Amino acid sequence: MLDTATSLQYSYKMRGKTRGPLKPRNPWRPSPPESATMGQGRRPAKRRRLSRLPPLLLAFSPFARSILFARSTAPNSTNPDPSPSSRTTEVGIADPKPPKAIKRIESSEDEEEEEVEMVQADFEFFDPKPGDFHGVKLLLQNYLDNKPWDLSGFVDLILEQTTVGTVVKSGDQDEEEEGDDDGGNDDEGLYAVISALNLGRYAGHRCIKELKRFLLEVCSDDSTKKKLKLLLEQQASDVGLLVSQRFVNCPYQLVPPLYDALFDEVSWATEDEPTQELRDSFRFKYYILVARIFESKNVNQYKAKQSQDCDEPVIYIKAEDQIFRELSSLSFTFHLHAEQLVPPELKNYKEMGLVMVVKADDVPKFREKLKSLVVES
Amino acid sequence: MATRIQFENSCEVGVFSKLTNAYCLVAIGGSENFYSAFEAELADVIPVVKTSIAGTRIIGRLCAGNKNGLLLPHTTTDQELQHLRNSLPDQVVVQRIEERLSALGNCIACNDHVALTHPDLDRETEELIADVLGVEVFRQTIAGNILVGSYCAFSNRGGLVHPHTSIEDLDELSTLLQVPLVAGTVNRGSEVIAAGMTVNDWTAFCGSDTTATELSVVESVFKLREAQPSSIVDEMRKSLIDSYV
Repeated sequence: MLDTATSLQYSYKMRGKTRGPLKPRNPWRPSPPESATMGQGRRPAKRRRLSRLPPLLLAFSPFARSILFARSTAPNSTNPDPSPSSRTTEVGIADPKPPKAIKRIESSEDEEEEEVEMVQADFEFFDPKPGDFHGVKLLLQNYLDNKPWDLSGFVDLILEQTTVGTVVKSGDQDEEEEGDDDGGNDDEGLYAVISALNLGRYAGHRCIKELKRFLLEVCSDDSTKKKLKLLLEQQASDVGLLVSQRFVNCPYQLVPPLYDALFDEVSWATEDEPTQELRDSFRFKYYILVARIFESKNVNQYKAKQSQDCDEPVIYIKAEDQIFRELSSLSFTFHLHAEQLVPPELKNYKEMGLVMVVKADDVPKFREKLKSLVVES
Repeated sequence: MATRIQFENSCEVGVFSKLTNAYCLVAIGGSENFYSAFEAELADVIPVVKTSIAGTRIIGRLCAGNKNGLLLPHTTTDQELQHLRNSLPDQVVVQRIEERLSALGNCIACNDHVALTHPDLDRETEELIADVLGVEVFRQTIAGNILVGSYCAFSNRGGLVHPHTSIEDLDELSTLLQVPLVAGTVNRGSEVIAAGMTVNDWTAFCGSDTTATELSVVESVFKLREAQPSSIVDEMRKSLIDSYV
């Protein structure tokens, strides 16, 4: 979190999130210049036309600017085919869902030292697109510990599945970039990504095979391993891999809309996808998640000693993982081999991986509990 | 020949390695695949040395060198310095320099004859570079970026620079360096050329995200392919990004 006396006043908009039947997609490849539709006509270029609230405050304060510049560590991917034609898609991308209500936290704008300085930050939610490759790859760098696997292929899968999946970028670039990019300035980097991949649908991809092998390898308990094997192999087409990753100090208010967006898109996809097979592929019965937690090193010590230490045996890096774990039908932790950077406050904790399987029926409970978690904090 | 490799899922191989005509430095801690990729190409010809600099793995960005010498930042520990002196051939002068800008790999780009440096480098450092590396030193920027060591990679036979470099800049740099230059990218559109790849006169290593087009540009501009019929090179023209206007 920000450690200076500032706080973020943030708003978020669901931009470019469309519902509706979308044309069948070709895997992304650089489009030939002569093609009129560019294979990207389906992309919600309607972001430009959504009404924007007039900016209430000045352009970014220098502080906010420096946050955002610090973000853009990932190498930039130049969008290879910005095309004016992709913006002229008048038909097809009707946006029946109005932009989500902008939430603004009440703030005061002043320069006094004692008062808290408010920084305005906008976050926008977009469908994944190929230009997001570097940002998403950066977020998922440690997904499977430090084992070398086909991470690029995995990121490509997430980006190709535009019907279910969301990326979060910062707003306020659109004004300058009207003519150039098609939606969102990639240079600023991503803050969060969320998606759900059907393990059966993508079972043939090398990245999914490697992922399954990894999960089975790190599972130390045999009975859990048997159940996991069943899920990953025989029942793979009912299982969705829920990938959710964001920068550590993203404001927590982003999280409920992010998960709402995902689960809503999954249910819409069961109705809107063009083929029956695709519709069925989104009828998940289980979600599997790979996450990180900090576990106290003193877990095995005698209870009496524990009282003098930090209270909690487990710290969840992403707070919603705690809810998932409570609702999970199956979960296990695994040790990490990668170099660990543990903040000094957490020196008694060790970072561990956590794998959880949650039944899809428990998702509404999760969504409720998530909302109440935000209200408390 | 250009090879695609990755270091622990990162495609920034130029960060974790430093390749010259006389030696190759590799970071410790990566999987053996990384190390063995270098060994497979280079083992018989030049020493491949595993090391850390200042206790970190980002050795490619901290040091600068060519076949004549190797410059290390002041943060290098004595053990590392000794290890490098022992492992590298005798004709390579290993020197630790006191320079405020300690990421020498980001500030200095060099081959065996010419070096481009960050405009703010000390005078003494510039002289040291000329002495130790045996090169002519030019203070330059690339596409407006002062970190010349990051945004270009060049060998004695060719060079690759930031994609936004203008034609005039390309010509000017090409004249200074006396090698053909091309503006392009590596690792699927990454502009940080030197972080994404490392090259010497006969081989190059690129990150595994490098597309086939990018790889063929690399092979052609650094002349890594054997006897090249000119018609193929002419056909390559379209994929060479000469300007970004």
